[in-house]
Order: sequence, then structure tokens, then C-alpha cells
Amino acid sequence: MNTHASRRTLPGLLAVALVASVGIGAAGGYEVVGAQERTYYLYVAAESEDVVEKISFGPGGFQKIASIPVGVFPTETEGPHGLAVSPDGEYWFVTVAHGNPFGILFKYDTATDTYQGDVKLGLFPATISISPSTGLLFAANFNLHGDHVPSSVSVVETETMTEVAQIPTGVMPHGSRMNKAGSKQYSVAMMSDELREIDVYRMETSRVLPLSENAPSWMHYQEHGNGLMDENMSDHSGMGHGAMAGGSHEAMKPPIIKPTWASPPTPQGKIYVAGNGSARILEVDLESWKVTRTFENTSKGPYNLDVTSDGKQLAVTYKSDKAVGIWDLELGEETANIPTLRPIPHGMVISPDNRYAFASIEGIGGEPGSVEAYDMQTGERVGNIDLAKQAGGIVVWKMQ
Amino acid sequence: MQRYRLALALALVLTVSFSPLSYAQAPEAAQASDPAAAKLQIDISQIKLEVGETATITATVTDADGNVIETPELIYFSMARRNVGIKDGVIEAYRPGEEMRIIAAVPHDGMNFRALRNPAAIAANPLIQMITVTVPTPPIADVTINDPPELFYSGTRVVLETTVTDASGAERTEAELTFDSSDASVARVSPSGTLSLLAPGNATIVAKAGDKTHSLPIEVMANGTASVELTASAEDARTGDVVRFWATARDANGGTLDSMPVQYAFQTRTINHELGDPGSGMITEDGRFVADEAGEYTIFAMAGAHTASMTIGVTNRDVKREIEILGQGAVRDRATSDLWVWEGPDGRDYAVTGTHNADGHAYFWDVTDPRNMQIIDTIRVDARTVNDVKVNEEGTIAVISREGASNRRNGLVILDVSDLQNKGAQILSRYDDELTGGVHNVFVYEDHVYALSAGQRYDIINIEDPTAPHRVGRFELDTPGHSIHDVWVTDGIAYSSNWLDGVVAVDIGGGDKGGTPRSPVMLGKTPYPNGWNHAAFPFRSKSTGKFYMIGGDEAGERGGTPGYDGEPPRMQGWIHIFEWDEWDNPTEVARYQVPEAGTHNVWVDEENEILYVAYYQGGLRVVDISGELLGDLYRQGREIAYFLPFDPDGFVPNAPFTWGPQPFKGNIFFADYHSGLWAVRLKPREGEEGVADGSRD
Repeated sequence: MNTHASRRTLPGLLAVALVASVGIGAAGGYEVVGAQERTYYLYVAAESEDVVEKISFGPGGFQKIASIPVGVFPTETEGPHGLAVSPDGEYWFVTVAHGNPFGILFKYDTATDTYQGDVKLGLFPATISISPSTGLLFAANFNLHGDHVPSSVSVVETETMTEVAQIPTGVMPHGSRMNKAGSKQYSVAMMSDELREIDVYRMETSRVLPLSENAPSWMHYQEHGNGLMDENMSDHSGMGHGAMAGGSHEAMKPPIIKPTWASPPTPQGKIYVAGNGSARILEVDLESWKVTRTFENTSKGPYNLDVTSDGKQLAVTYKSDKAVGIWDLELGEETANIPTLRPIPHGMVISPDNRYAFASIEGIGGEPGSVEAYDMQTGERVGNIDLAKQAGGIVVWKMQ
Repeated sequence: MQRYRLALALALVLTVSFSPLSYAQAPEAAQASDPAAAKLQIDISQIKLEVGETATITATVTDADGNVIETPELIYFSMARRNVGIKDGVIEAYRPGEEMRIIAAVPHDGMNFRALRNPAAIAANPLIQMITVTVPTPPIADVTINDPPELFYSGTRVVLETTVTDASGAERTEAELTFDSSDASVARVSPSGTLSLLAPGNATIVAKAGDKTHSLPIEVMANGTASVELTASAEDARTGDVVRFWATARDANGGTLDSMPVQYAFQTRTINHELGDPGSGMITEDGRFVADEAGEYTIFAMAGAHTASMTIGVTNRDVKREIEILGQGAVRDRATSDLWVWEGPDGRDYAVTGTHNADGHAYFWDVTDPRNMQIIDTIRVDARTVNDVKVNEEGTIAVISREGASNRRNGLVILDVSDLQNKGAQILSRYDDELTGGVHNVFVYEDHVYALSAGQRYDIINIEDPTAPHRVGRFELDTPGHSIHDVWVTDGIAYSSNWLDGVVAVDIGGGDKGGTPRSPVMLGKTPYPNGWNHAAFPFRSKSTGKFYMIGGDEAGERGGTPGYDGEPPRMQGWIHIFEWDEWDNPTEVARYQVPEAGTHNVWVDEENEILYVAYYQGGLRVVDISGELLGDLYRQGREIAYFLPFDPDGFVPNAPFTWGPQPFKGNIFFADYHSGLWAVRLKPREGEEGVADGSRD
């Protein structure tokens, strides 16, 4: 079933106007809509400044608590990317994606934000999630360096910071998310149009769902192994690759959906996939392992999405349309479409109490990165804070 | 990590899996029927394996009633998989290690691998078992004294070279090695294996590692040396000059004793000896000597009881020159990255500078008058860092790199700079195919761009039509974990900087190995044990005929002064100089190392044999690299000049952080991270002319 987006943009726009009059870009410059007593603590990775920002959002709005430098190379931009907090809340983890050549997962404690350990992973490790059951961390090795080759998901034992497995996956895997039980990990393969399910307990891919007709088939993987492309490309013996003019990956079709993130599974047994390259959000039924609904013609570039714990609402960033959407999943309608204050909305996380959605905003060039908060009920922006450049990965640490 | 499945489950899996568009396994089918009551038992809880040895685990899973489950589903993983692996229940030892853990488990809901540091916690779960594997360091299998001399003479010394290997065949450089002599009155041997031959006679030298020994019987013959003759290539030298010494042992009849080993040593008294100047230098085993300090140096050649000596006078190299500041093109609101200076088709001189971690700007400067450098055009691209900027040989096409693009496609941008005065820089095309990770460095050579995205390879992109760039080739090493940082092309050879893999030379048309941009051919690579190779610049020395490779490090750490947040990074590293006349035989012969600072980019003026180094917090360094290079050029006083670009209004005030140098038409341009573009020049020494044009052309 395809459902066309029914956007209720007016309230969002009004909210923007109100917000703008209060003061754009000032931390705590918003009058928080509706009394709220809780304070939410988040970590946000600023990819272009190699820092992780620790912020809070409470009755007084946003506050910056700390800016923690990460990475190992002071004169190179190493790109902190994915963030996760251990289930007990005592540690946070960040992938630093660039490397020589392999990226690194760092571990810090949440009490003092001090370094606890690190481990090398694969090429350009990006998004991460931790199984609340096993305690193992799953990092999608995105391999943004350009070669469109199947990559892997690294599995890390986080007490000893040991990589215990690399699970083969699709091309440019991204959007690592875990089910509530911690038994299944989901990610998408951006350049091979796939949703992949990893059995956490078995540390292997349990299901692959092609999201378009251009996704490589399982037969294709069986036949080609890690060589989805022509022999020259998989041959890293060094020389030449002379026949490259005019394109190199004849065996691989271009992706149609370009999925970037999968949501965590909802209690209703659904997963939502952001079709970044096709302005679609796909609903996947976990039991039938099929796409059951498609929200067509969303704003451009749906990128990251999260769902409320009751599975009734979804919040999504639209990278290309400078907007954030909130969807009623029962109706299949977008109830709010809120232009962001700066371009390139990136990360999306909903507070554990389903009250707020927090979107990280990259900005462009020298603009600061930022985080915006939205009330999930009113669809209004209720806060904004400027952070270091290219805010990306975002995670809620705790709420009090 | 492997698993066993019920045959039925496999059948189900295969049936479903061969759908061309979808495959799905049956994740629940192979679990124990009642995992909560099941129990896993394995027959191995601790095991000791030698390197290369394997052991098979027998696992038994019983259900709640104690019945054995046939072919149960199990997973295994190693907590030290680079040392010990596990596949299909077979443990294999790769490398030594103590008490490494392998986990075996029956997958079940709520499975918890936390507390893996606590074996008791694992033991408490009946469905998870741990195997502790110890792979002892293999015993020493062999000790060999390599290629000892055939003849031994009393009164001489011989350094014994040894190789120790263990039972796995691995060389053990860290193994404790002892030496002994059966007759200390004939031969003594030092703990490190230097043999002092004291008197004629027989002795057996024993090298021992572990319980293995190598016995070397020697016959020490009377030393027939009646005299030693010593000659030198020069009697006077400057610091840094390599003086060659030749020693000949002669018998009583004046005959030459060709097999007589001769050792060299030197004694020094520097001109500032009484001021505590210790003096230093270097003499190689083949008699090449270089002094670091001015003074008198006495070189001794010893063969038996006979010694010859020569004293040479060493004067200061006296290459110091003053630097004159010509101008600063200040960039103070953002960090500056690399630069390129060239003469445009209109005869005027131009420069382009990039910006780092900012807003994607590249600045085009008219530097015809270096005392009045002016930005004449600014290009802003979708990026945060324009790390590298290059211009083609004709001065008409510029290429700039992109990192931090909002669409993450990055790549590079090609610009027409043929008429900067009237048209400015005009973007002709963008190229980002498979360069999405961010292009860090580029080079333009004969209508091709060599571009790398800080990954593992560089791409070679044809820009004969700059509006239609297309990749024609690429180069990538095949070493484990290889990585690349930069590439420089000259005379048909591409020299890439590859961190631990060192400098790699690749024939793309000038290496006589048939290489082309479409089909590059590797020529050789230098060792680089510190793993910091960041830049490379070839140097064909006119004064010696030698081919040197200048390799630059990049290493550092963030500032760490308590209470001072604005501290720039503390960079480290030095310049490595390789003599590389044969592609398969590079030898690191010299270094240039400024203490307390770190290197970045370099440039060699071959005509004047001058090395320019951007030394981060050490500013601009100008180094005399004329003549043979040996030892530490910094200590030898080969530094001609240095300049610290302080700018009180800089992006970080008064914090020199020099990024890249380029000599051009007798001036030196350089980019400084915190203060922008600078032009300086070496003041002529009295009675001398200024440095000639050092530009690429």
C-alpha cells in the first residue's frame, strides 16, 4: 500500500515564525512550549571539528555542558560519526570514521567524559548500536572512501574493547539500530538498496530485504562474494585498473532507494526505512519481511528517523529539504513538517518518554552545527542550540 | 564465530534463500527447544596450543531432561582473533598470547556477554562456556651467527650478526641472546656480540638463545699488520661535509692485507670545547665521516696493535643567511592550508591558497609584487576544507580539493585560471566519482590529476578536456592495512606518501618500466618504521649525482597545557633522507630534525640544492642539502635560515604553524595555518647574488 504524504505544514511554519521572533540560534532562547520538568542529556558528534558535544535540554532550554575533543590526529579532520550509550548509561561510544585507513571506536565514561579505551574497526565505521542483551556493540563500516564494494558490520565486546567479529554486509552499510530485546540489529546498505537484519546472538546476517529491483540478489552475493564489481575493482594488487574510463562497476546497478537509516522495530513489528535517494519512507513488516507501506513523495532526502516507543509516531530528518517531519504512523500522514533553522538536518532521536524529538543539523561550510528540539505532540520547535561544525551523530544519554 | 545448524533448519534456509530477490533464514528454527533449561558442556575449558596448532572442541547440549540435542546450534567467537581463531569448532593458534578467551554459546533470548573479564559470570550461564587458550611463545629453534669472516686476526674486533628464529619460523629479534667464549685469553665477546680478538690461538664462540646455541670455532691468527695507512678525501671540511677515509693495513713487507678488518673511531675537540660543547659527528663502517661541530677531529683507523690517525680541521658550515620579510597576505578569520605559486599566461605571478576546517574558500592572489600581495578572486565551494591546491604546468588550470561537502560527495573542483585579471577563477567542472570520502591531496601532471581521498589509493583522472574529467587509472598497494596521504609527480614518476608503507615510487611514463597513467607500474618503496610518512619530494643532487628521496613525517598530539585551551597542537616528526639510486635498495642516510617541532610539507630547489620545510610550530626552515648527505643535518649547521611567522592578530595569535613552502623566482612563499600567505627571501650574503629561481619550471 502506498500512502502519499499529507503534510500539515502550516502549524510548523507558524512555529518557525514564533521561534524566529524569540531568537534564532541562542541556547535557551526558546520559551519551552508546555511545562516540562524533565531534563534530557544528549551527546552530539560534530564531524568537522572532531568534538563530541554534551548538552542538556530542560525547562530552561538547551545548555552546553561540555565539548570533548576526540580523535588522535590534531591536524586532520577525523570525523566523529556514530554515538551510542551503554545500556547502563555509564559509558558512551563514538566512531571516528577516517583513519589510516581503519576507523576507530572510542569509549568514554559518562560521569567524567574521559577516555576509557579504543579499538580499530573497518573502513569508515559510522553508525553504532549496542545490544542491551549481549552488551555487544555493532558498528556499520560505511566505507565512504568511494569504492562501492560490500563492507561489514563490526561486533565489539565493549568491556575489553575487542572486535570479536566482522559480519559481511552490503555496499555502504549505514544506520545501525537494535530491537528492544537486543537480539536483532538492523541496518541498510545505501548503495545496494537493502535492509539487513543481523541475528545478534548468532552474529550473522539472518535476513536481507532488497528494497528495489536494483538490489543485488542473494544469488549474486553467492556467486560474487565480495566482488560485486568487475575483477579489476576487487583486485587490490596495486596496478593500473586501466579500463576505468566511463564507469567501473558494470555488475552493479545504481541504487534507486538509497536507504540511509532504519528505525528501531516498533511494538507493532514494523521498521521504517528512510529512502534518501527517492523521497520515500518504507514500512517493513518484520513478520512477513516485506514492504507493507510506502510513504511516497516525502520532502526530499529523508535521512534519519526514529519512532516513539509505542510505535505511533515517527520523526524524520529531510536532509535535502531543510526540514524535519513528524508522522502519525497509524494514519500514515505527516502531521508536521518543520523547516529547520539551518540546512542539512542529519541525526534524529526521540526522547525515551516520547515527548521530544531532537535533530542534529549539520549546517553548510563554516556554519555552526546545531541541535533543534521539537515537541512531538504540537510539532513545534521548542529549542535550538549552536554547536561545533557539522553536528551529526546524536544520542540521548539520560533523562532526569 | 561459526555455528552448526540442524539439518532441517539448513534445508529450510536453502529453500527460502534461493529466491532471486530475497532470502530469509529461519532464525528461531535451530535453537534449543527450551533454551532456558538447556545446558552447554564443552570438553575443553583450558588449552595450550603451539603456534599453528589446532584443537577441536566437542560441545554437548542437553535439554531440560538431560537428553543430548543432536547437532545443536552453537556460536563461537575469539576475544583475541588476531592471535587465536575459531572456525567450525576448531581452534587455531596464530600468535603467542596468554590466557586468551574463546566464547562458546548456545544462542538464546537474553544472551549476555557482559562481564567477559569475569570468568565466574560466564560460568554462571549454563549456555555460555569459555575456553581459555594459551599460546606459549614458541621455543627458540635456531640461532645462527651470520656470515662470519673467514679469517680472524688478533688485535681486531668483529661485530657478530646473528639471527634467532623460533619453532614457528618467526624471527625473534627480542629474544635474549648471550655470547660466550671458550678461551677469554684468545677472544672475548661483549654482551651484544662484539668480538675482541686478543691473541693468536683457538677458541669457540657460542651464541645462545633459549636452549639453542650456535658454536663458531675460530682460529685467531697473529696479526701481521706492521702499519696502517690512512688517507682521506679532504683535510679540511665544513660541518656537514662528508669526508671519506680509506685505511689500508700493510705487512712488514709493505704488502696489503686485504682481509684485515679495520675499525674507525674519532676524537674531537670543538672550538667551544672549553664552553662545554661536546662535539659530535658520525663515522660509518666504510669510513665516511661527517662532523656536527667546528673544531679538530682526529680519525683513527685501527688494525691490531697498529693505528693510524689523521686530524682534520672542521669549520662552521657558515651557510646562515638572514631572511627578509617581503609581505604577508593575511588570512586571520580562518585557517590556511596549502598554497601554489605560478606565473600566469599574462606574465604576472599568482598564488592560490586553501582554507582548513572553515567555509570552503580558496583565495587567488596576485603576488607579482610580493610586498603587496592582493586577493584578486575568491572561490567558495561546498566544503569545509580545501586542503590542497595545485595548478597545471601551463598556469591555466587549477585543481582544488574538497572535504566536508554538505552532500558528502566531496571530490575535486577544476577551475580555469588562465585569465585571472579579467575573468577571475572560473569553475569548469567538478569530479567526485568514488572520491566521496573527501579528497585530501591532489597533483596535476601532464593533463592528469592524481587525487586521493585519504583512503587506500589514488585515482588518475584525465583532464585533457577539463570540462569532462574522467578516471583512467588508479594505484593501490596490496600490503595489509595500507593507507595513503599524498602524491607528488615529476619526470613521469609518482611518489606517494603512505604512512607505514613509506614513500612509494610508481612509473606513470618516466620510469622505464612501461608504466602509464592508465597502467601505473610500481618501482619501489622505502621503509618507514615510524609510520609517519606524510609527504615526499624527490631530489636529484647535482653535486653528487645521487638520487635522494625527502620523506616528511606528520605526527603530533593535541596541546595539553592545563588551563590553556587555545594551545595549538604539539607536532612532532622529522625529515627522512633516503639514498635511492636503485629502486629496490633505498637506504636512509640522513635526517633533518628540529627538536620540539614537527614537519609538514616540503619543497626542494634542485638548482640551488636547498630544502624548504614547513615545520609547523617551528615555522619555515631553509636547509642546505648540497653535497653528500649523512647524519643529522640540523646538528651539522646546514640550516640556512628559519622564520617564525608571528601574527598578533592571527587566527590563533602569535602561533606559528607553517603548512607549506614554495620557492619561486628567488623568493620563498609559504602558507601558515594561523596567519595566511607569506613572502620572504633570503638576503644575499655579502658579495653573493640572491638565490636563483627555484620554481618547478
